[in-house]
Amino acid sequence: MADWLGRVSRGIAFASSVLWCSTALADTELRMTLFGGPVDIAVWQKLSADFEKTHPGIKLKVEVNDWDSYWEKLRVLVAGGTAPDVFAMDASNYPDWQARGALLKLQPFVDAEPDLLKGVFPISLEAYKTPDGYYGLPRDIQTIALFYNKDMFDAAGVAYPTDNWTWDDLRAAAKQLTKDKNGDGTIDQWGLFAELIDMEVFWSSVLWSYGAEIVDGKNGKTLIGSAEAMKAWNFIAGMVLDDKSIPTSEQLRQFGLDGFQAGVTAMSVTGHWSVPDYTPATFKWGVAPMPKGPVERATSINSAGFTISSTTQHPKEAWELLKFAIGPHAQEELAQVGYAIPIQEVITASPAYLVQEKAPIDHKLFVDALAYAHLKPVFKGYEEWASAVGDALHRAWSGEIPIADAINEAVAAGDDVLANNR
Amino acid sequence: MSSTLKPLRGERAGLLLLLAPTLLGLAIGVFGSVLATLALSFFDWDMLTPIKWAGATNYTSLPHDRMFSVALVNTTLFSLIYVPLTLAIGFAVACLMNRHIRGISLLRALFFLPVVSSPTAVGLLWSWIFAQDQGVLNSFITAFGGNPVNWLGPKVILYSVVIVNVWGAIGEGMIVFLAGLQAIPRELYEAARVDGATAWQRLVHVTLPAMVPSLFFQGVLSTIHAFQAFDYIYMLTRLSNGNSTFPTLVFSVYRTGFRFFRMGDAAAQAVVLTVIIALFTLFYIRIQKKFGAEA
Amino acid sequence: MSRRAEEVRGNVIAVTLLLAGGIIMVAPFIWMVSTSLKLPADQYSRSLIPPIFTLANYHDIWTIMPLHTMLWNSLKIALIATFGQLLTCSMGAFIFAVTRFRGRDALFFLLLITLMVPQQITTIPQFILFKWLGLYGTQVPMYLPSFLGGAFGTFLLRQYFKTIPIELAEAARIDGASLLTIYWRIYLPLAKPALAAFAIFAFMFSWNDLFTALIYLPSDMQTTTLPVGLALLQQQYAGKWTLMMAAVLISVAPIIVAFLIAQKQFIEGISMSGFK
Repeated sequence: MADWLGRVSRGIAFASSVLWCSTALADTELRMTLFGGPVDIAVWQKLSADFEKTHPGIKLKVEVNDWDSYWEKLRVLVAGGTAPDVFAMDASNYPDWQARGALLKLQPFVDAEPDLLKGVFPISLEAYKTPDGYYGLPRDIQTIALFYNKDMFDAAGVAYPTDNWTWDDLRAAAKQLTKDKNGDGTIDQWGLFAELIDMEVFWSSVLWSYGAEIVDGKNGKTLIGSAEAMKAWNFIAGMVLDDKSIPTSEQLRQFGLDGFQAGVTAMSVTGHWSVPDYTPATFKWGVAPMPKGPVERATSINSAGFTISSTTQHPKEAWELLKFAIGPHAQEELAQVGYAIPIQEVITASPAYLVQEKAPIDHKLFVDALAYAHLKPVFKGYEEWASAVGDALHRAWSGEIPIADAINEAVAAGDDVLANNR
Repeated sequence: MSSTLKPLRGERAGLLLLLAPTLLGLAIGVFGSVLATLALSFFDWDMLTPIKWAGATNYTSLPHDRMFSVALVNTTLFSLIYVPLTLAIGFAVACLMNRHIRGISLLRALFFLPVVSSPTAVGLLWSWIFAQDQGVLNSFITAFGGNPVNWLGPKVILYSVVIVNVWGAIGEGMIVFLAGLQAIPRELYEAARVDGATAWQRLVHVTLPAMVPSLFFQGVLSTIHAFQAFDYIYMLTRLSNGNSTFPTLVFSVYRTGFRFFRMGDAAAQAVVLTVIIALFTLFYIRIQKKFGAEA
Repeated sequence: MSRRAEEVRGNVIAVTLLLAGGIIMVAPFIWMVSTSLKLPADQYSRSLIPPIFTLANYHDIWTIMPLHTMLWNSLKIALIATFGQLLTCSMGAFIFAVTRFRGRDALFFLLLITLMVPQQITTIPQFILFKWLGLYGTQVPMYLPSFLGGAFGTFLLRQYFKTIPIELAEAARIDGASLLTIYWRIYLPLAKPALAAFAIFAFMFSWNDLFTALIYLPSDMQTTTLPVGLALLQQQYAGKWTLMMAAVLISVAPIIVAFLIAQKQFIEGISMSGFK
C-alpha cells in the first residue's frame, strides 16, 4: 500500500517536472547552501545531478557546511549582498531572518499550486506560517523519544520502558540504574542522559506534560514560571540534584558530552538525529515513547526547512529547486541517510523510512509521536532568549542557586529579550 | 642601541618604498577595522536591515548587559594571572633552551607541539585531566590524602583555564625569546665572565637588558591574547545552548553581534576591549622607557 | 671550576628541567597519536598504548573526504602568504626600527591598535570591500592581505632589528649604501633567526585560518581549505575521537614540518654567535 503511494507520488513529481521543463528558457545557475556533514555532501551530489537532469537549463551548485560555520557564513553572505538563491533554515531561527526581510515570500507560489502541500504533515508547516503567508517550507521533522540501553537494564534487573511509563516510572528506574559500579565512592553509571540547558530534548516536553506553556512570543511573555511549570521544574530538579541520576554537563565532558553514546547512562532523551550516532554502539538498545506526565504525554517537534533569498535573480528556478528538495524523490533519498523524519506522510509510511537496514528500530514511533507533539516555540529573538534562560538554568543545575530563584531570573531575563525584539 | 638613522634627502624615496605595503595595509586596517568598529558602535545594526543612528545608547546600556559585565570581570582576572605567568615561563624555557647541545632541537619541537594542537582535539584530554570523579589531577590529590577539587566548577574554573592557556602559549613565547636571545653577542657574556660575574649577574646585567625589546613585544602580545582568549576556554566551559560558563570578552562580542543580531552593541564592547588593551600597552611603554630603552 | 665544567653542569641542569617540562608539554600530543591508532571501540580507554593497533582511521578519513585537494589548497595559500608576510613586514619593521621621521611612533602605535580590535565586528565591511574589488569567490582574499604588512610581524621584526647595533648601518652608509641596500644586505641576513621564528607564525596563522576560507571561498571540496573540511568532519563525527584525532594529526603535520625546517635557522644563529 505504502509502496504504491510512493510510486504514484513519484510519478506526479516526474510529470510536473516534465511540464515545467517545457517552459524553461535560459541557462541559469542556482546556488544552494545547507548545514550538515560529509553524508549530506554525498546525498546532494546525487540529488543535484537528478535535479539538473529533470530541469535542463539549470545548473545547481550545492555547498555544505557544519552548523556553526553555516550560520556565520550565511550572515556574511546575506549582509554582503551575495546570498545563495536557496538556503537551509532552522525553524527556531526563521523569524529572525523573516522579520528582517531576508527571505522571499513563497505564498504566491504556494497559492499557484494548492496541491503541493497536501501530503505534508500539517504540524511541520505550522512553524513556517506567518500572518503574511509562507516565507519558507519545512524539509524534515524531529520528534523526541526515549532511548534505553538494554544491556544496562538487564544487568540491573529493571524492566524496559513501556508505552505506559509515567515520569515517576522513569525517575524510579533512573534512580535504580544510577550506580557506583567499581565501588570507589563516586557514581560511574547514571540513569538518564538529558540535555538540561536547551529546551528541545527534555524540559519543554516535561513542562507541556505538566500542563505548562513555555513562551508567548506574540505578547512577549516568558511562561516557564507558572504554578504548573514549577511542578515540572521540581520534578527535574529532583532527578538532577536529589537523585543525581542525570549527569551534569561537567561530568559528561570527559565522555564527549553524549553519555548514552559513551555507554555511561542507561537512558537518553533525544531526537531521530541521534540514531546514526547510536547505531554503531557495542551495546543493545531500544526506543520508547516519551513518558506521560500528570496532564498529558508530550514531545517536542522541530523542523529544519528551506528558504529562498529575497534578493535572488531567479525566483522561479529557485522555487523549482525548493519544491524538488521537499518533494518525494529528495525526501526518499534523505530518509535513507537516517538523521531525520521526512515531511511527506507517504514516505514515512514507506520502506525508505521504516526499513533502515543499519538501524533496525521502531522508526514508526517517531512519526506516531506527532499525535501528541507540541511545536518547539518559534519567535523573533529566539537565540538570545534561549541563551538568557539557559544561563539561569545552568546556575540551578550546578547547585549555585535554588531552582525557584533560577526560574525567576530566567523569566525576568527572557522577558527583557522579548521586549527588545518586539 | 637606541639611536636611529635620520633619512637623508635622497633616501625619502627608499623609505617610502619600504614602508608602502605597511602604509597601505594600515590605511585599510584603520578605516576598515578601527574606525569602522568605532563608527558602528554609535549605530544599531542587525546586519540585514539598514543601520540606524543610536547615539551613545550602545555604551550606556553596557553596564546593564549581564553577560558583558561577567565577561569583563572574567577576562581581566584571567589576564592578570595569565600574562605574567606565560612571560615568566616562556622566558625561562627559552633561556634554558638557548644552548648548543645535541638533540636540543627535538626538545624545542616538544615545547612547540601544544601551539599546534587543535583546542577541540585536546579538549577531551583536558576534560579527563580536570574531571571531578576520575580525573587525573584529582586522582593525584586524593592519593596524597587531599579532597577532590571541582576544577571546572565556578570557584576554580579561572585557574583551570589559566593552566590550559599557559600550557598552549609557552611554545610561542619560547620562539620569540629564542630569536631575541640569538641577537645577544657572545662577546658580552665573555666580558662579563672575565669580570667574574656569576650566572645570576649575567642574567640580570647582560641578558635582561638585551631582551627588553622581546619582553615588550611578548608582553603586548600576551595581553592581546589574554583579552581575546577564546577557544581553549570555550572548549572547557561550553554549554549546549552555545553559551559558556566562563564567558570572555571576545566571546561576548561575537555572540552579541553574530548570534543576537546586535552589531552595534557588539561594536561598543569591542571598543571597550580595545581601549583596555591600549591602556595596558601604554603602561608597558612607560615601564620600558624606565629601563632606558626606546619604545 | 673550569669554564668547560661549568658549561657541562649548566647543560645537565637545563636538559633535566626541560625534559621534565617537555613531558607535560608533549603528553597531550602523544595521546592524540595514540587515540588515532585505536579502534573506535577503544576510544575512551585511558591506556596510552592502543589495545589493538590500527591505521583504519587514517584510511577512513580519505574515503569520507578526499583531503588532498584541500591540503594542496591550504599549502599553496600558506606558502604565498608566508612569503608576502616575510617580505612586507620586514620592510616596514626595518623602517620603524632604523629610521627616524616625524609621526613614526604615532604611526606605529596605530599599527598596534589594529591588532587590538577584535575582528568579528568588521568582517562584513571587509567582505563588502573585497566583493567590490571583484575578489569574492577567489583565493586572492586569502593571501592578498599578507602582502600589506601586518602589525604582528612588523612588531616582532622591529623589536629584533632594534637589537642590531646601529653602527653597522652607519658604517655602511658612509660607504655609500642606500636604505634599500642596508635593509637587504645587512638587516635581512642578520635577522635570520627572527625571520625563521616569524615564518613559523605566519605559516601557522594562514594554515589555521578557518574564517577567511569559510567566508570567501565556495565551500566545496575543490576550492576550500583544510580547516573548513575539518569543521565539516567534526560536525558529523563529533563523538568519534579516533577518527577526529587522525584528521587533526594530518592537519598539523605540515606545521610541524615547517617548524622543524625553520628552527634550523635558530641553530645556525647560535653557531654564528653574534655579529663578529
